[in-house]
Amino acid sequence: MSARDQILNQLRSNERPAEHPEPWRSRRNFPDLAERFTQTLTAGKGEVIRAANFEAALNEIDTILHELQAKRVAVNDTAPLDGLDVTKRWPDFEWFVAGKSEGDIKSFCAGADVGLSGADAALAETGSVVVSSGPGKSRLATLLPPVHLAIVPTSILTSDILTWTAARQGQPGANRVLVSGPSKTADIEQVLAIGVHGPKRFIVVLYDD
Amino acid sequence: MTATMHEFRHSAFVAIEDIQLQSALEGATHKFGTGRTDALAEVPEVEAMRDHFKKVRAATLSQLAHHLETFEKNATAAGTQVHWAATGDDACRIVLDIAQKHGVKLVTKSKSMATEEIHLNQVLSKAGIEPVETDLGEWIIQLAGDPPSHIIAPAIHKTRHQIAEMFTKETGQQVSADDIPGLTELARQVLRQKFLAAGMGISGGNIMVAETGSLVLVMNEGNGRLVTSTPPVHVAVVGLEKLAPTWDDAAVWLSLLARSSTGQALTIYTNIITGPARPTDPDGPQEVHIVILDNGRSKLIGTKYEEVLQCIRCGACLNACPVYREAGGHAYGNPYSGPIGAVIAPLLFGLDKYSGLPHASSLCGACKDVCPARIDLPRMLLELRADEVEQRVLPWWESMSERAAAFGLASPGLFKYGTAVIRQLQRPLAKGDKLNLPGKLNPGQSRKTPALAKRSFHDIWQSGELDNKNGGE
Ligand code: SF4
Repeated sequence: MSARDQILNQLRSNERPAEHPEPWRSRRNFPDLAERFTQTLTAGKGEVIRAANFEAALNEIDTILHELQAKRVAVNDTAPLDGLDVTKRWPDFEWFVAGKSEGDIKSFCAGADVGLSGADAALAETGSVVVSSGPGKSRLATLLPPVHLAIVPTSILTSDILTWTAARQGQPGANRVLVSGPSKTADIEQVLAIGVHGPKRFIVVLYDD
Repeated sequence: MTATMHEFRHSAFVAIEDIQLQSALEGATHKFGTGRTDALAEVPEVEAMRDHFKKVRAATLSQLAHHLETFEKNATAAGTQVHWAATGDDACRIVLDIAQKHGVKLVTKSKSMATEEIHLNQVLSKAGIEPVETDLGEWIIQLAGDPPSHIIAPAIHKTRHQIAEMFTKETGQQVSADDIPGLTELARQVLRQKFLAAGMGISGGNIMVAETGSLVLVMNEGNGRLVTSTPPVHVAVVGLEKLAPTWDDAAVWLSLLARSSTGQALTIYTNIITGPARPTDPDGPQEVHIVILDNGRSKLIGTKYEEVLQCIRCGACLNACPVYREAGGHAYGNPYSGPIGAVIAPLLFGLDKYSGLPHASSLCGACKDVCPARIDLPRMLLELRADEVEQRVLPWWESMSERAAAFGLASPGLFKYGTAVIRQLQRPLAKGDKLNLPGKLNPGQSRKTPALAKRSFHDIWQSGELDNKNGGE
């Protein structure tokens, strides 16, 4: 008998009828989702910059990239950036556009200064941004560079992980990450240290749309 | 390693003498404990949420075969290769086979209790494959050759001085022990090269979600993203009980996990993996394997110990446990320490080998109070003690003396007569109100065992002396 059958038979021999409880729904009702998102993410050592509209958000990104003295930027070709030719708008930087640029994405990202992405959703309660893989959406772009910069419209904010899962549709892609701050550790004498493996800075430009 | 009564006591005594360890344990468990309280207090109706979660876990285990099959079906549809391992050795063999098939020489690992449990690193090393632990705490203990001392913070027993010394030895670079950001940066640089060079990544898994065949991995450092995104092959080893039927269940699980564990609302990264990279994805692994591990778990279903499989390995019970807080993790002689370890190690690895653990508890109930799944660990500790008696795993002299004591204590006459005899016999050994018992015969070890008082309380009571002394009113 295969290990699979052996294990399943063992479990089945003790199977009992069970009533699975109805789903637990969110009890959250934040008066201002953007406010809560900003508070929580900032408390978790992330950075939030508010912008009045998409154009203002792009200006913020411009400022951040220059302040960081970025040279190489990896970008996910996805909403809300997909309609934009970043190489034209910011010709000073060397770009790698996921899904479009030629070359090895892994080595580019390993040497990049910033990874720029959009988001699928944002959770107010925990200050989290949901980033997925897919066509034009690289995992390494938001992981290998020392800075992860995400541009997020307020319309994709939801209360918490419960409201986010309750609204789910269809089958997810290969990878989906909820990012709630910069990489951190407290493994040496419980002292907080930022940026052990993932990005050292996580900056969200949150704009009203 | 094992933890019989004698072994547990011995290691615990060593730990208690270690002032540095005591302050590290005190600091970490206190920080996690208060973090947990504050984080849960912020959640609306959190007690009802815990009750709900308990029901979800119990219902899931009642129909585990069904849910695992659903998981397998959906994971396979997403392109994941699902394997089943009856024992730890089988799981190691499956992982090794995959590595050898791809000609892998270097493996990066993210923190996983399941792979600790099956000693995967030893198996890989023996086959000439280098496994590198990448969670900072796990890397530290790998360099030191130590087992983990806490489910969540595996290296709490190491000081920054010891860590700086090991890092210097490993990398040849001088780094100051007082520069913790510097130590962290050094680890980042060294391990980054490993991530990029590895042929395979190995992880554990916090939750398998049956509805979509997804695997959820939570972490703060980001290493669990690198392990699962950079190399061409990702293998996860997951205990078969870590299953959530739906995303609604997984969301409640995640709402409680980090809060109970480190006092965070969510860990920095919640990484969800549903199959290998799709053809249109710009990056990601070409193969994803999930090894569903039994290793003694399935036989607990339907028994009085089934409840222990509701555990989500948050570590809250360790932080709350007065015994863990003094004895530390190593005394438990296996990767699972604290109250959960005291219950699960005897069940998975043998009651005879871990016979000391069911006694490593004052049964104060603090573990049950903090457990997000409200697992009744004290009840199971008692059941295990009863099993020890039934299975006669205790030494004959211990069960004989327990039996004699039970018999004597049940009869007032025998008790009176027996204690009178002991009072005479103890004379040559008594010094003041303490007994001077030689070495091994002293059950209190470094503490003195009290002698029987000259007169019994019963005797004094009967004599009426107490009335005169206290009876002023
Ligand atoms: S027994 Fe409960 S408190 Fe202890 S680790 Fe498991 S889930 Fe957490």
